[in-house]
Amino acid sequence: MPALTLTLNGRAVATDLAPTTLLIDLIRERQHLTGTHSGCDTAQCGACTVLVDGRPVKSCSVLALQVQGREVTTVEGLPAAAGLPDEAMHPLQEAFMACHGLQCGFCTPGMLMAAAGLLRHNPAPSDAEIVHALEGNLCRCTGYVNIVAAVRQAAAAMAGGAGADAGAGAGAGAGAGAGAVAGADRATAAPGTPAPWIPSARAQGATA
Amino acid sequence: MNAPKDPGLDTLRFGSGHTVRRIEDPTLVSGRGRYTDDLAREGLAHLVLVRSPHAHARLLAVDTEAARAMPGVLAVYTGADLVAAGVKPLPAPPAAFRRPDGSPVVSAPRRGLAHEVVRFVGEAVAAVVAETRAQAVDAAEAILVDYEELPAVTSLEAAYAADAPRVFDAAPDNVVAEARVGDAAACDAAFAAAAHVVALDLVNQRLAPSPIEPRVTMAESEPGTGRLLVTMSNQMPTGIRDTLAALLPGMEKSQIRVQVGDVGGGFGMKTGLHPEDLVVAWAARALQRPVRWRAQRLEEFMAAVHGRDWRTRAELALDAQGRVLAMRHRTLANAGACPTPTGCAIPIVLGPYVAPSVYDIPLVDLHITVLATNTAPVAAYRGAGRPEAVYIVERLMDEAARATGLDPAELRRRNLVRADQMPYTSATKQVYDCGEFEKMQAQALALADWDGYAARAAASAAKGRLRGRSVTTFLEWTGGNALTEKVQVQVRADGIIELTSATMPMGQGIATSYAQLAVDTFGVPIDRIRIVQGDTDRATGFGSAGSRSLFTGGGAVRVASERTVDHARDLAAQALEAGVDDIEYEAGAFRVVGTDLQIGLFELAGRQPQQHITVAAEATAGAASWPNACHVCEVEIAPDTGEVQVAAYTSVNDIGRVVSPQIVQGQLEGGAVQGIGQALSEQVVYDASGQLLTASFMDYAMPRADGFLDFRTVFDTSVPCTTNVLGAKGVGELGTIGATPAVMNAVVDALLAAGVPRTTALALQMPATAERVWQALRQRRK
Repeated sequence: MPALTLTLNGRAVATDLAPTTLLIDLIRERQHLTGTHSGCDTAQCGACTVLVDGRPVKSCSVLALQVQGREVTTVEGLPAAAGLPDEAMHPLQEAFMACHGLQCGFCTPGMLMAAAGLLRHNPAPSDAEIVHALEGNLCRCTGYVNIVAAVRQAAAAMAGGAGADAGAGAGAGAGAGAGAVAGADRATAAPGTPAPWIPSARAQGATA
Repeated sequence: MNAPKDPGLDTLRFGSGHTVRRIEDPTLVSGRGRYTDDLAREGLAHLVLVRSPHAHARLLAVDTEAARAMPGVLAVYTGADLVAAGVKPLPAPPAAFRRPDGSPVVSAPRRGLAHEVVRFVGEAVAAVVAETRAQAVDAAEAILVDYEELPAVTSLEAAYAADAPRVFDAAPDNVVAEARVGDAAACDAAFAAAAHVVALDLVNQRLAPSPIEPRVTMAESEPGTGRLLVTMSNQMPTGIRDTLAALLPGMEKSQIRVQVGDVGGGFGMKTGLHPEDLVVAWAARALQRPVRWRAQRLEEFMAAVHGRDWRTRAELALDAQGRVLAMRHRTLANAGACPTPTGCAIPIVLGPYVAPSVYDIPLVDLHITVLATNTAPVAAYRGAGRPEAVYIVERLMDEAARATGLDPAELRRRNLVRADQMPYTSATKQVYDCGEFEKMQAQALALADWDGYAARAAASAAKGRLRGRSVTTFLEWTGGNALTEKVQVQVRADGIIELTSATMPMGQGIATSYAQLAVDTFGVPIDRIRIVQGDTDRATGFGSAGSRSLFTGGGAVRVASERTVDHARDLAAQALEAGVDDIEYEAGAFRVVGTDLQIGLFELAGRQPQQHITVAAEATAGAASWPNACHVCEVEIAPDTGEVQVAAYTSVNDIGRVVSPQIVQGQLEGGAVQGIGQALSEQVVYDASGQLLTASFMDYAMPRADGFLDFRTVFDTSVPCTTNVLGAKGVGELGTIGATPAVMNAVVDALLAAGVPRTTALALQMPATAERVWQALRQRRK
């Protein structure tokens, strides 16, 4: 069996494995890191996204041997990759919680890793750039509204806190008293201004 | 009555009505969730299914000999094996459903594994269990199935044709069941006397629910007891337990335990037992090994239940002032190859519940025929009958506005059930306890600047884009006709209050909402509350579906929490040697009024012989709740490509009392995006031979992050539900139900405004893809 060495969440890993082993199977079944999820087996949904040398990669469609000698980061290693203790939360994780950027949570690790890959290379993305970076990741629950808001908030927090709360107010403090008209009004543009049109990158291929 | 007089800091911070961080989230964002596929088991074996490539065929032979000899193979099962072992088919629709001649409903047996005949592409014909998944896949490929192809039928029109191929012999005409709701003769008279009659042919296309977590089922012998322990991703574990007990030979409910961990989305698809679950349970029992099956996405598209799939000829009769006199539906509903109880109930029962919606429609005649086809079974998907029915009446309302020359908002306003008519009994015999529909509409129109539309349309035109708009007023029925819930509260000496419920989390944050309700009563920090769900040994009940959990289960949380404080007060009186009437409770402590004498709730628990105080209580909501809303939608169309974009989306939602505002907003907006997905992109397509053409996320187009993100979502909490203790109305499905007609009516409005001929614009059916819209735009007169 071929030998594989890589760095996984900052740890050196050396293992023998069958050449057909997928990266996701190495992560989930051999390393027991189950935060990386399999949603479609075909690189279409993004739930399995991890970082390989800092770039988002869909681990369900990459052979483990393709990451020979590389640095792989999963959701479990996200805080450490930002220099935080393991039990701490990465600003992206904090922002997803604060903005209600997750419901069932199944797509969330992939969303977090795709967003982490974006922020690593583009610390101050526009909304259009956030949307573009997340187009390879499907979410069935949230409608993406609060996911995009969370990435925006995390970027601001990582930039030093200025405006870290901008865009976070998804319903926060909405009163529910009798007669109150409550809820959040997140719209910043005037009614009638469409969301920016972004060319779709439907099948953003896995690269290793 | 036991709520603290002074709510205290913790109630103010964490109690209902406030946005708190979901208690589910730290685990989920750090990758520590426990979805069924994440669980490790010693000796776990893997099950893989062989599925039919044909839509309809006789199974002449299933040769498993070579597969059995493959490395690592533990067992191979066929449909014949399960029949011989006495494994029964899944439940058929109840005889209360009737065929046109009055005879009972008919269906084909929906088996764990097909026997003698396969009736849709993807129906499982054999199962392989092996030491590894790869070995099981290899062995599955070695199974040789000899099929004799039979004629297949997939569309409703084809299935209803006189000489259609039969899906199964019990239904020579492919009619599974039929129903007629309302007063046909009176309706006919109203139509004959009407000043205006409008009619539309509407397709509500088939959808794939598509939670991102595929179905996963694991079965094993429970250590210590030897009972069958099934762990799976499901919304109704008690129903799964009971169904398995009924289908597996020699099993009692008491011999089965169903556990559910984190659920990666359900949307109704994960309510009932699927055939694969039965096979996994059988295999684990037969092999005495833990066995797990995880669906591939392809299997989810082929063999998980689908949703919707109706065709309706819909008509509305109005008087000269635009008052609706009567409504008629002639609906064909597709139940798929093996009709299920839910597949019959959705078009025959649930759709009619809301068919008149928020409108005071005196007469209806709803004629519904449920048909079998060689396609995957149709069952629940978010809304289940309500989206279909509301789509019909909302499309009719816009067409009636055009026929009468009235503004679509004004036409709707004239027909809304008024607040002074509540409680109101609809033409389909449903009682709306409350609702101020006109107030919701007025707020939404103001917030969306309905009257300022012309300027926005002109601005779109200046950019070379076509603009359209819609207003949608609607309601939905919630509760699943299962209105009782039980909750057990246990106050423990270690400072934790544990609440156990049979309702299920599936991403909707119900545990957080329950914890907030518990904080209301106990006045302790929210991190003192634990919610236990997903274990039939801990709690049994209906489960979570039909937007029911908060107003039924939450009501039980309220009642059980109050009874716990009452019971603890008695114990505190003994401990403090005071009369019960002199004991007051506030923020985690009992105090003798007017003294310093007190005892903490958790300390009191520690003084009990079992170290805890435990109370179980039941609550029953008096009726379904009727959440309602007004959605105002504007779209822009790029004429060169036909691409439709939502340009503005405003909703005002009457959902009664709100416990968790941020969660509610997430349900409404995430739900709306699912509804937009139906309007613009999603569709399950079978070709005429029964091959599934949309079997991946590359072909089945779900919304992605490049969709609309700027919702204005408002809730009006001034009309609490009168039939449950919380005053809450269900919210899980509301956004989905309104969004689909909202977008389609706006698209049609844009096409008509752009000069597309009426017949072309009205012939456009969902999904309004760029290609379809572009084709429609080509019909414009030059």
